[in-house]
Amino acid sequence: MKAADWKLRTSQGQGLLIAIAVFLLMFTLYVGNHPAGLTVPVATTAANKAVLLALVAMAQTLPVLTGGLDLSVGMVFVMTNCLASSIVSGEPWQVALGIVVVLLAGALAGFINGAIVVYGRLQPIITTLATGAVYYGIALLLRPVPGGDVQPDLADFMTYTVFEVVPTSLVLLLAVVLIIWLPFRHSVVGRGCYAVGSAEGAAYMSGVAIDRSRLAAFTLAGLLAGVAGLMLTFVTFSGEASASIGGTYTLNSIAAVVIGGTSLYGGAGGAIGSIFGAFILRTIDDLLFVFDLPPLWQPLFQGVVLLGAVSLGAARVFRIKNRLELFN
Amino acid sequence: MPTKSILGMSLAAVLAVGTVSQSLAAGPEVVSGPGVNPACFAPFSDQTKFLKFAKKDPPYRIALANGFVGNTWRIQMIKTLKAYSEQPDVAPMIAELKVVSTGTDVAAQIAAIDNFINAGYDAILTIAVNPTAFEPVIRRANRAGVVLVPFDNVLDSDEILQVNEDQSEMGRIMGRWLVNNVGNAGKILEVRGLPGNSVDRDRHLGFRDIMGSGGKYDIVEVVGNWDDGTAQKVTADAIAVHGKFDGVFVQGGSTGAVRAMIDAGHPFVPVAGEAENGFRKLCAKHAEEGLLCSSAGQSPGLVAIAAKTALTALQGEVLPQYVSVPIPLVEHPDFKADENYYPDLTDNFFTPNEFPPCDVNITAKEIMAKSEGDQ
Repeated sequence: MKAADWKLRTSQGQGLLIAIAVFLLMFTLYVGNHPAGLTVPVATTAANKAVLLALVAMAQTLPVLTGGLDLSVGMVFVMTNCLASSIVSGEPWQVALGIVVVLLAGALAGFINGAIVVYGRLQPIITTLATGAVYYGIALLLRPVPGGDVQPDLADFMTYTVFEVVPTSLVLLLAVVLIIWLPFRHSVVGRGCYAVGSAEGAAYMSGVAIDRSRLAAFTLAGLLAGVAGLMLTFVTFSGEASASIGGTYTLNSIAAVVIGGTSLYGGAGGAIGSIFGAFILRTIDDLLFVFDLPPLWQPLFQGVVLLGAVSLGAARVFRIKNRLELFN
Repeated sequence: MPTKSILGMSLAAVLAVGTVSQSLAAGPEVVSGPGVNPACFAPFSDQTKFLKFAKKDPPYRIALANGFVGNTWRIQMIKTLKAYSEQPDVAPMIAELKVVSTGTDVAAQIAAIDNFINAGYDAILTIAVNPTAFEPVIRRANRAGVVLVPFDNVLDSDEILQVNEDQSEMGRIMGRWLVNNVGNAGKILEVRGLPGNSVDRDRHLGFRDIMGSGGKYDIVEVVGNWDDGTAQKVTADAIAVHGKFDGVFVQGGSTGAVRAMIDAGHPFVPVAGEAENGFRKLCAKHAEEGLLCSSAGQSPGLVAIAAKTALTALQGEVLPQYVSVPIPLVEHPDFKADENYYPDLTDNFFTPNEFPPCDVNITAKEIMAKSEGDQ
């Protein structure tokens, strides 16, 4: 019984394990060929860039678990970036208040998505396409031209290292996992998200609070996108209402979710996998740096590796005899 | 030393890193001008300060952290950099040239520049995707003693070397030329560039500066996005609505604008436009029928000037912080086949690539010989 249990858990976590293995392989390849090797600055540069996408991918994971795509995560990311570039500066209390307001704004944006999906009974993908445009519009109003400011010491600290060893951004990511993701994952509402995504009818019949779970998933997605927007402000010391950045992060977050082993049909997977999915995506870019690829071949190379990574993440679905095996 | 404990060694390493980072924290020195070779490295204005980097010995490792890639201008720019790095007098100074394109993601471009800094490159050229987001990376570059040279889309900073053409002066040149060729009054069509972009704004303001001072002009303004297709359509529309124009100023997509005039049977009038090969071909062909042209543009060859600026800075020379690159201008009747336009090359080729004051004389054939796949 114990052995069977262990086997089941391994097979459920297979997507995550593959993602971790692929990431370790690629990152070793990268560091091994990097002229400077694995130094603290090299790790920090990689971490700062990877954590941004990892946070947005975590945000995307939650709606996907409930069986819907959130096309607005990138735009919430951009909107909170523009907001943070306006209010996270000045006295320490102003900075602290600014951070709280930015996170609340992200959560509110997510809550609005969730409320429209739950009470308006619209498809998540259509709802968030529309609200994403609204959030981008707000970002443009906040910051018509790129600019703004952020508390420089805090930004330096967040994009540098703790004790000159660990990149602060990785610590932030770990904190988000420990404080937000894991408690949520094991809460009743969190389990409800999995239940809704795997079989909504069954979940309803079993008395799962479907509406509350959906609403929580979208709100939390907005909050996580807000954390990412704050982090982008620390990386760039400014805000920019860029539609292309919003679009890029939205699409890459979906790719990261798939690479991390979360089913786009919902109900299986998790945010940890998406983090490694995001790390893999970013390492693909970094590989361009260490290998001398001709510039115009780079997008083709990225696309081919991405396709391979996504296939690997999705491959296990083909091998499954009974869809129940996917569900926890 | 090898027998010392690991602890001792790592302590020494930490101390060494500490001292190094302190000693290099300064970045370039601000000095008084004039700088070296002022004919090529002209300061942008009287207020431009002068910078001097610590001298390093060649050969150097040079990197280009490009943003998005995919339009003809960028492709020609990358080819130009490769061709320039292989010039006989330049090649011995360059140990390595690496090009990375990161797309429109600002965080990815910052990380690319950081990567080059971490890997110990001597100079990094970049076309920034955003003028404000690079303040922290500028500090990191200066701290590491790396020469960072943004060009084309430059940054809001006076702490690093930058290279660009004076966009408002380009607008003024076009304005003066139209005034000379149209006369004191007339109806003018102005085809603008990509809205919201500083280049579009500066060229427009420079142009209006001249047209507004003396002379009676009725200016019709349309938006052509620097794109042949769009410029052709909006020019056709403007001709349909307003009838006849006495002169045209088109920021980009000049080939399309002239095509629209031909298609509409509009009589040939003076056109001040960009430096596309197609535009110059048409100008040369129809000059006798009255298509007088002035052609100047943002050259992909700017990358060569940026590279030359970086190489000069690495040799410890004094340079203006903001280098104003001479505007490559050709006016009627100076259009000459295979000299400043190329009948055999595509319409999309950007003609100006030679900057004699800078000794940057890469021919069109040399650029086109570099296939995109060539490393």
